[in-house]
Amino acid sequence: MCLTRRLWCSESAMTMTDRILIIEDDPEIAAAVANEVRALGCEPSHRDTLDGGLTESASGDYRVIVLDRMLPGGDGVDAIAQIRAGGSRAMILVLSALGRAAERVEGLEKGADDYLPKPYEPEELRARLRALLRRGTIQVADNDLMAFGDLEIRLKARTVHVRRSHVPVSPREFALLTFFAQNAGHVVTRMQLLETVWNLHFDPGTNVVDVHVGRLRRKLEEAGAHVIRSVRGEGYLFAQSMAGEPGGG
Amino acid sequence: MAADPEPRLVLRRTVFWRPVFWRPVLRARATLRLAGLMAAAVAVLSLGAMALQYRLVATRLTEAQKDLLSADLSGLGALYDQRRIIALRQAIDYRAASGGQELLLLTDRHGRILAGTEDRWPADVAPQGAGFDLSTPQEITRGTGRWLVVARELPGGFGLLAGRPLAPVDATLAALKRGMIGLALALLAAAALVGWIAARQVMGRIGRLNRLADQVAAGDLEARLPGPRKADEFGLLETHMHHMLDRIESLNRATHRLSDTIAHEMRTPLNRMAARLSAINGQEETVSQLREEMRGAIRIFDALLDISRAEADHGSGGGLLPVNLSTLAEGVWELYEAAAEEKGLIPVADIAPGLMVLGDRTLISQMLANLLDNAIKYCAPGDRLRLTLSPGPLHLLEIADSGPGLPKGMGDEIFERFTRADRDRGIRGHGLGLALVRAIAMRHGAKLSLPATGQGLTLRLEWPPLTSG
Repeated sequence: MCLTRRLWCSESAMTMTDRILIIEDDPEIAAAVANEVRALGCEPSHRDTLDGGLTESASGDYRVIVLDRMLPGGDGVDAIAQIRAGGSRAMILVLSALGRAAERVEGLEKGADDYLPKPYEPEELRARLRALLRRGTIQVADNDLMAFGDLEIRLKARTVHVRRSHVPVSPREFALLTFFAQNAGHVVTRMQLLETVWNLHFDPGTNVVDVHVGRLRRKLEEAGAHVIRSVRGEGYLFAQSMAGEPGGG
Repeated sequence: MAADPEPRLVLRRTVFWRPVFWRPVLRARATLRLAGLMAAAVAVLSLGAMALQYRLVATRLTEAQKDLLSADLSGLGALYDQRRIIALRQAIDYRAASGGQELLLLTDRHGRILAGTEDRWPADVAPQGAGFDLSTPQEITRGTGRWLVVARELPGGFGLLAGRPLAPVDATLAALKRGMIGLALALLAAAALVGWIAARQVMGRIGRLNRLADQVAAGDLEARLPGPRKADEFGLLETHMHHMLDRIESLNRATHRLSDTIAHEMRTPLNRMAARLSAINGQEETVSQLREEMRGAIRIFDALLDISRAEADHGSGGGLLPVNLSTLAEGVWELYEAAAEEKGLIPVADIAPGLMVLGDRTLISQMLANLLDNAIKYCAPGDRLRLTLSPGPLHLLEIADSGPGLPKGMGDEIFERFTRADRDRGIRGHGLGLALVRAIAMRHGAKLSLPATGQGLTLRLEWPPLTSG
């Protein structure tokens, strides 16, 4: 898993572990989140009030802050501006019981980097934490060409080639493939795809996303690239079996 | 299919769409009617009083002339008693020479005039009786006016005619009539003026309340009337209205707070359950089923909260931004088109570009997703699914399918919460999708209807367009 570590812990992995701040008043949920954080190889610290969290976010060097909304002391989303004003450059993941579409959009509009409604599934939380940890470092790897073995994605030309032959994909399929490629080696959930590829922030209840992923997957497999596989109950995994590295990395 | 394409929802919207400018006229109508009624009542009463007065004056003046005539007659009677015709002749000659107002005439039995103010016995007067009293007076018209006369045949065939003019009475009455008409007109004008001023004052006070009600209806629950309130019935009404608004506002706040609290109290234990589920090993099938159940429960619960929130925000423009309906429709269509094709349907979209509305992006997407999901769910392979968006005075968005259509006997009630046809028991769902569609349509002021078509189900949404200013 050398590739994985290098992607999400980047240069800081050499010196210290990434720290994640959890601001959450429910001790049981805080403990569960802390477990997920440790499972990612990062170091959690926990505050159970908004004020405590604000102070801690300003003093500590955190990569990600997991922020609840209905906290003793106020609404976490309203405090995002204060967290930023305190000098923190951490990615903010709001984890809240206020999970209706309108509330998620509100959270994102007020500056959250991601928004996960409770009850969450541990896989979903892990996927989103990983994606946030990777953000910021992915730009370094940003280049025109992303290559995964036989599969080549040219970002500027927006073309996909497998074994040098062109695979025609729709603009949406290209966006889907790019998002998969940027998260290569990690589980990507359906909600993540809906939110980032379609910019829709509600749970449609049906697996409309599966149809699109299925089509892209068939196109790639017909061309000879077996890069997408579904992970039962979690989502999709891209390029895990491929030994190749991203071309720009 | 609904026979009536104008459901209750549409009627409610019509109120919302009424142009604002003619509202004051409508509001003023009741007040003006009242003022007009009051003016008319005053005018009728005054006219009645004047008519009575006219009658009294007319009677009084005629009586005065009768009294004069009666005095004339008794004077002539006294003379006749003393020296018969000679005295009468002398007296009448004297009176005729002195040029009095009265009419006097004495003739012999051949009708020759012995004395008098006239040179001829009037043709339309026949002598009646022989006494010098006022019985059987007659009214005749001579020259320019009316006269009250008494004609007698005295013993020996002498004719006597005595009369007094009614012209002064008529002149006075005519003057009175002119005065009264002028007064009546002035009264009507004054009543109208007073009515108008009163109506204006009432309208002003009521207008304040109406403007407040409009503001509240437009979603501003915090709107209140500025300034102090007078200690009259309007002031009392304003106070009552303020109390009512305070109550509505606090209830609305409580509703919002409650839905947040419910969300927190329900999702937090579910979250613990989810966390514990992930600790279970070796029963992936059960765990994944339980998770799907939990997701389903959350979806129902979110839909209910979304519906009540959209309904609570209905009519308020707050939170709505200009959005490109065409782009939204294209995005959601693109997401569902693949699923429709996969199921074997024939999806066709005809979306006019660049149509803007004032809306909430997420709500509109959710609504379109619900509609398309619904259509795909109920259609069978081979059915057509069509999304049309076309511009117009109202942007027209239609989702039509050639599927089974509405169950028999069902119409607009499909938009009610938890309404499901017995026919559809086997298909997943809770009967909340279309209720949410209706709530979101209402939130955006869009008219939702089920136009009658031959086959399948067509759902029409008419959006108030956003004109770039």
